[in-house]
Parts: sequence; structure tokens; C-alpha cells
Amino acid sequence: MEVFLPIAQVFVNPIEILLLSAIVGVLSGLFGVGGGFLMTPFLIFLGIPPAYAVANEANNILATSVSGSTTYYLKNILDYKMGFIIVIGGAIGTTVGIYTFSYFKGIGKIDTVISLAYMYILAIIGTLMLVESLREIDQAKRNVLAKKKAHVHYWIHGLPVRMRFPKSKLYESIFTPIFIGLVVGFIAAIMGIGGAFILVPAMIYIIKMPTKLVPGTSLFVTIFVSVIVTFLHSFNYGSIDLLLVLMLVIGSIIGVQVGQKLGERIDSSGLRALLAILLLIVGIAIAYDTFFANEILNNVQSNTNKDLNFFSEFIIDFSNEMPFFYGLFTIMFAIILGVAAAFIRKFVSNLKIKLLIRSK
Amino acid sequence: MHISEIKILNKLPRLKSSYVKAGILMSLLAYWGVILVGTFVTFN
Repeated sequence: MEVFLPIAQVFVNPIEILLLSAIVGVLSGLFGVGGGFLMTPFLIFLGIPPAYAVANEANNILATSVSGSTTYYLKNILDYKMGFIIVIGGAIGTTVGIYTFSYFKGIGKIDTVISLAYMYILAIIGTLMLVESLREIDQAKRNVLAKKKAHVHYWIHGLPVRMRFPKSKLYESIFTPIFIGLVVGFIAAIMGIGGAFILVPAMIYIIKMPTKLVPGTSLFVTIFVSVIVTFLHSFNYGSIDLLLVLMLVIGSIIGVQVGQKLGERIDSSGLRALLAILLLIVGIAIAYDTFFANEILNNVQSNTNKDLNFFSEFIIDFSNEMPFFYGLFTIMFAIILGVAAAFIRKFVSNLKIKLLIRSK
Repeated sequence: MHISEIKILNKLPRLKSSYVKAGILMSLLAYWGVILVGTFVTFN
């Protein structure tokens, strides 16, 4: 069974997309890493052109971030002031990223650039994760406790224009969070990822935020950055395919829930090395596609606009004739899906509690 | 002589661990070699 994606102009198997996004969601929930840098390469492997994979994954990240941030919002465990400062940098970074994207798209090299960027990011993260997890395993075997460094000051902490962040109890230069946001926004625009793998360590080790405020603030920043990325991609290139986004969101939200439940039951520290190896394998698969199989990918024939159903025609017309409103609609669509997922999760958890009370 | 006193047997697990570490390091070096050379060749 195959479904035609009207915007990406390719046929895909919806079961494959749902399964893959669910698997990536499970990994994401289990290890606490964003699924963007795994899901986008998988979409590319399924035959979706990289420029479309990036844009649609950014929209999926928006929906999952909205869904995940409700808990932190309700418990008020996020630093809004710090979040907004990072978002300022994120907005600048995203705009620069979209211009860079346009430049490479203009010279016809965007697919190669995206593939290379993914290959290097996966190789770097995979290598660091593998070395770190092997060190942890080694230390655990020897019963050595890792020495934690005392509060270390880098040159970055001496930057001017300092501001108080009462929630995080910090007195920090605004240039530090702006710079971090800039890097995250740039990468998000080109690669369609949330950037949590940069944001979280940067918030902990560079900004020195309290760990309990980090996940909520990171999701808060991701929401804004992915809104800008989604809108700019949709407005400039009309590359958001609502059908694909719907499949991605359903799969990943279910997967993340399963992953989080699994994470509560098993110790995932030993499995981290396996995730690192998976990232390295995906990286080398992209390398193979980029270096040796580019011709095969380029020969994937796109479908003409004939024999489209009403829904597909509507999406294409909407995207082409009203790009601004289509951009806004894709954002609202992702937010509504995210909020709906959060409500369903709350409803199911309340139902479970009620059933448990009744059974007692 | 007791078997636990044979020094070479005591060193075996550590030797195995060293080989595993060296293997992983070599694999990572080969991995990075492939992607760096591949990038270089693609852009030339």
C-alpha cells in the first residue's frame, strides 16, 4: 500500500513511515535525545528528497515539542527569560540558515550539503557518545567515581552586557545565550532538527543553568526555533507536506511515550553505546549514498500532477497560491496535533489511575 | 603452583580489554578516514 505525497511528489509506504517514526520516538524517549537527527536521514533513505525531509521533520519537531513541553509549563520548571534571549539568537541563526539553504538550493547543491551535514553531525555525536559510554562502562567495572570539576569560568563568562536571570539564579552576559541560539537556529534551518543535542549541554556546561530547568527551557526554545524554520521553509519553498507531517507526528508521539515508559523500567546507560553505534551506522549509510549512490537517488522520478485526489490538489493549490497562509496553517496544524497528543496522554493517564483505584 | 598465581592468566582480561579498546579506536579512525577522504574526493 503506497500513498502519494502531493508536495514532495513521491510515493511512500505509510506503515514504513509510522513504524520508523515510532522507533525513532522510542529511542528519543529512552535516551532523552531528539529524534530529528535520526528521522531526517531515514526519510531520505525512504526516497523523500532531503530538502523536503528537513522541512517536514522541523514541523514534526514542533508538534512533539508542544506535546512534551506541557508538563514543564504546568509545573513552571522553565526559565522564560533565558529562553527568550536564546530565541533571539535562534531567530537570527534561522534567518541566516535559510539564506544559506537558499544559496545552496540555487546552485543545485542543497541535497549534497544536507547529506554531508548529517554525515558529520552523526559521526561527531556517535564518536563522542561511544567514547563517553565506553569510559562510563570502564569506570563502572573499576568502581572509579568520576571526578566532577568545580565551578569553572571560561572566557565566555567575562563577556559584557550582563543580565540577571532570577529563575536560574544567574548573572550572565546576554551574548552567551544569543550565540548558542544562533548556532542552534542555523543548524535547525539547514538540517531540520530541534538542536537539543547542542542546547542541553550548552545550557548545563556553558550557561551553568540548574539541571531541572534545562529540559523545559530547551523545549521552549525548540518550539520557537521550529516555528520559524517551518514557516520559512513553507513560505519560501512550499515544502511542508501535511500528510507526511501527520504520519510523522502520530508515530513519534506514540514512540516517545513507549520510550519514556521503557526508560523508567530499564537502565539505559549500557544501551547508550548501542545508540552511538546506530548513529555511526546511519552516518556511514549517508556517506555511501552521498559518495557512491548519488546517481541512484537523482534518478528517482517525480510524479506529475495528473490523477491527484481532491485532498492532494487542495494542498498543492493552497501551498502555491497562498504560501503565507499555508505557512501559518502548517504551524497551527503542528501545534494542534501537539496539544491534542498532550490531552490524550493526560486522559489516558487519568483513566489508568481511575482503573487502578477501582481494582483496589 | 596454584593456577591463580600464574601472572599471564591474571593479565588476560586486561589484555582482552586493551585489544577491544584498540579495535574500537582503529574502527573509529577508519570510519573518519572514509568520510574525510570521501568528502575530499566528492568535492574534487
